[in-house]
Order: sequence, then C-alpha cells, then structure tokens
Amino acid sequence: MRGVSVSTELRAEVDLPTDGFVAVVKQDCPTCRLVEPVLAALPQVTVFSQDDPAFPEGVADRRDDTDLDASLALDIETVPTLVRFAGGVEQGRVVGWSREQWAELTGVAEIGADLPEYRPGCGSRTQDPDVAEEILVRTRGGSLRSRRLEIAALEDEVEALYDRGFSDGLPVVPPTPARVLRMLDGTSRRPDEVVAVVPPNLVEATVEKVAVNAVLAGCRPEYLPVVLAAVEAACTDEFNAHGLLATTWGAGPAVVVNGPVRAEIGMNWAGNALGQGNRANSTIGRALQLVIRNVGGGRPQEVDRAAMGHPGKVGFCFAEDEEGSPFEPLAQSRGVAPGRSAVTVFAAEGPRGIVDQISRRPESLARSLALGLRGVCHPKLVRGFDATLVVCPEHARVFAEAGWDRARLEAALDEALLLDRAEITRGAGGIDEGVPAGDSDRPLAKFRPGGLMIVHAGGGAGMFSAVIGGWAGGPGGSAPVTREVDPWR
Amino acid sequence: MHDFAALEGRGVIAAFLASTQFVVAADAQARALGYREVPSVFVPHPIQDRTDEEMRALADAALEEVLAAVTRR
Repeated sequence: MRGVSVSTELRAEVDLPTDGFVAVVKQDCPTCRLVEPVLAALPQVTVFSQDDPAFPEGVADRRDDTDLDASLALDIETVPTLVRFAGGVEQGRVVGWSREQWAELTGVAEIGADLPEYRPGCGSRTQDPDVAEEILVRTRGGSLRSRRLEIAALEDEVEALYDRGFSDGLPVVPPTPARVLRMLDGTSRRPDEVVAVVPPNLVEATVEKVAVNAVLAGCRPEYLPVVLAAVEAACTDEFNAHGLLATTWGAGPAVVVNGPVRAEIGMNWAGNALGQGNRANSTIGRALQLVIRNVGGGRPQEVDRAAMGHPGKVGFCFAEDEEGSPFEPLAQSRGVAPGRSAVTVFAAEGPRGIVDQISRRPESLARSLALGLRGVCHPKLVRGFDATLVVCPEHARVFAEAGWDRARLEAALDEALLLDRAEITRGAGGIDEGVPAGDSDRPLAKFRPGGLMIVHAGGGAGMFSAVIGGWAGGPGGSAPVTREVDPWR
Repeated sequence: MHDFAALEGRGVIAAFLASTQFVVAADAQARALGYREVPSVFVPHPIQDRTDEEMRALADAALEEVLAAVTRR
C-alpha cells in the first residue's frame, strides 16, 4: 500500500493509505474500546492509537500516534474517527459510533450488529489542554522567525531575561513560542509583515517582533492591534520617536485610545484614568516602549539621554471618555471617521493636576486651566513645547452646561494663553530665563497652532484636570500622530 | 550619528561633534550603525547656557581637532 504524505508542520510527515480506512482512537475512550472488535474485523484498515500503542487488539496495521502527528494531519477532534480514502482523497468520515453511519461509510451492512445503535465519541488527545501549547508550537511554530534563546534548566527565566537586557526594569513575561503564537492570534496580519522602522537603530519591526514585545509587556492578544497601531504611529517622521528618545528632555511617548476597541479590550477611562491598575492601559504603552528598547535599541544611558525622564516612560497609555464628553472624540477631531478605533501618540511628561473647585462659569474655568498650562516648559517661555490637557468629567460638566465644544474651549485657552511680553522677557521677575527682548509689545501665544491637545477622561468626582507637558512641537520636534487600529486587527 | 552616516553615504567628508556628555550615546549609536570608530570631537559640557562669546571660544578651541578629524585618513 503506497502512502500519501500529509505534513503537520515542515518537519513532520505522516504516511496514510491511499485506499481503505483510517481510524484514530485512544484506549482511554469507552467508545473506542466499544468499537475495538469492529475495527479488528474491518478489512483494509489502518488504526492510529493516540495513547496506548498496543490498542486496539487484533488490528493488523496498528500504528503508534502518541506524538499525535497523524491526528493533527487528519484534523481529528473526536475519537473514534473513521475516515475512508480512495485514490489518496478523503471520501468521508464518521465521528463516534453510529452503526448506521459506520455501515454506510464501510459498506458492511451488519457492522457491529451486537453493539448499541449509537455512542458519542470522546475528545481527541489533540484537544487536551495539557498538549495544546505543544501542539500550537508544533503546528505553527515554523512561522516564527525570531532568534530562539536557550534558557538553561537551572536558570530562572525571568532573571535570564533581565540578564539579557530585555527588561525596562520591571519583570517581563517570557516570550515562549506558544505565547508569541497566541499573541499573533490577535491580528490577521502575517508575522513577517514590517510594521515600521524603529529608531534609534532604524531596525525593521515585523508583526512578530511587536508580538514578542507585547508578550514581554504583559499584553493580551486582543491588545495587539492597538500596540501595532501605536508602533506605526510612533515610528513616523512627524512623531519623531528618535528625537524624543535622544533629547535630554524627559518626555516619552504616550498613547490615547479612541473608539470601540477601548471597551472591547476593557480599557479604563474613568477613575485613575492616567494611573495604574488596568492591564490594557498599563501594558499597551509598555509594549510600545519595549519595542523601542528591544527592536530599536533605544536604552537609557545609551541613546536615551533624558536628564530626568519620568515614571510614565515605563509605558503611558489611556483611553478617552467619549461617552461622557462634551467634546467630539479626539480621534474624530483628527480626521478619523466615527465608529472607528484609533490611537494618537504624543510626547508626554508625567501628568500634573490642576485644581479648580470654584469656577462654575466656563470663562473662569478656561482661564484657570490656562494658568496651569502656562507652566509647561517654563512659565516664561512660549512656543517651545506642546502640551495635552486632560479635562476631568466635573470640569467638562461646566463646559457642557454652557454648550462649549472642543473648538470653543481651544479658542478660550488660546486667548488666555496670550502672554504679556513684559512678564516673560529675560530678566523679568528677577529671572534670567525667558523670551529674548523684541521690538514688538504684542503678546505672545504660549503654544504653536495645534500645539495644545484636549482629551476627556477621569473619575466622576474631583474637580481636578491634568496637564501633560510635551516636548518641542512640530518640525524638528514631535507632533501628535493618529493612526487607525482596525487595519491591524 | 545618523547625520554622520548620511553624509558619509553621500560622499561628504564628515566628523561627529558633540559635548562630552554624549560620549556614551555616540558610541552606542555608532556601534548600532556598524562603525568601529567614527572621527569624533567632544567639546566641554555644558552648551545650552553658554553666551555667544563662550560658544565662539569653544569652537575656536575645537577647530584644530575638527580639522584633524575630517582630514585624517
């Protein structure tokens, strides 16, 4: 009998008969034991046993399939499964025991006459959770191209990853092939597809490399499209992750997420919106930073030259509260269609709160928030740095009740942030830092046009918004960049 | 360092110039770009708060080294 070769993976090939029957069984299954005499009596049958190579008795062509190669090649989900081949092509299969179906497939009218009419099968060994991981790697591991690290048996794998420099200082999740493969289930994109060229070393990051770092960061597979979009956005000329990394200023990349994906992956935009405690918020930003570190080679004490840095450089990601916002969602204000998910990356220092528990008029509150924004970079410097204002729900309520939208608030902030030259010139206030003396007395705008971004997030109680200072805005510095998430699903 | 590489790639003779605080960063980036050695000149730190006169003095003091870096074979 000549065999047909079926590949379960590049390395494993299984010989199956071109004509006749193939059965897959396991001794542990009562239905398989029930059909043992039927199989023994069936002419031209090859039986693969998933557990006991000596089972079933009385079968001439009995083969050991404890490695499950044949079961995987035949895509077996239930045992017993009986398959009929003719000319190397599958003609049909029966799952479990059904006298009628077995009779029809085999053409043996009186088959198993003394057996019950019907007995359901059992789960194939290939479906067992204890072998699922090994099977995942065996069937799909060949698609992975990353260099494999050998971790010695006596080595602690988390410590080993520290020793090899893959950590940002916190423990990382070991990116085993099975974990990386499960992470890759989060996207329909091919593992070898290039997502971006990552600075500072200008290394191509494939979907697989991003997935490896998403595993390291602690992401779930459903976060991967958000991470991919964030990497795509950060590695653009406009965002200039290279400059942001290499500057001695301490800002790092932050990610705001908009659209349905926020709820789908369980992000937090309510209480402690910018803080710890939510897995998606905490790990997506971290994955982006680990890509820059481990793929791009951007590490502190090397090309990352921040004099100070800040704790959010481990990873800084949050979601906008769109539902409770008086403003159009950030992504929509930046050109993304409603109903679509998007990330916006921006240069970010750590956030600083602004208290205003008195203002109930939008004009007063806008001036109050503007005062907080004035401190970005330096209170006496203008148009140096961009900034992001995170308006809390209790402040947003004041604007909502007055009918103020995003544009109205932006205009009021711009007006309140026209700074009097006399106050900010070098030497004014006894401080040498400041803007150079000029010919004109015209007030100066604190931020460049488009240099102030407004987001709505936070808990329902507390009249405390937040200012997130940025870095040099625009060409030569960094501008916020928005990219859609859905193309990465 | 990427600028250095870009200029060299276009056949323009270049040298790397920074303050002493950037020795380690320059070395890390040069190695990542595949250079064993880049002709470099490091001037004393700090830079940002220098007056124009002090900057000119720094530049004058570095000139010989810069010329040597771009003419060295």
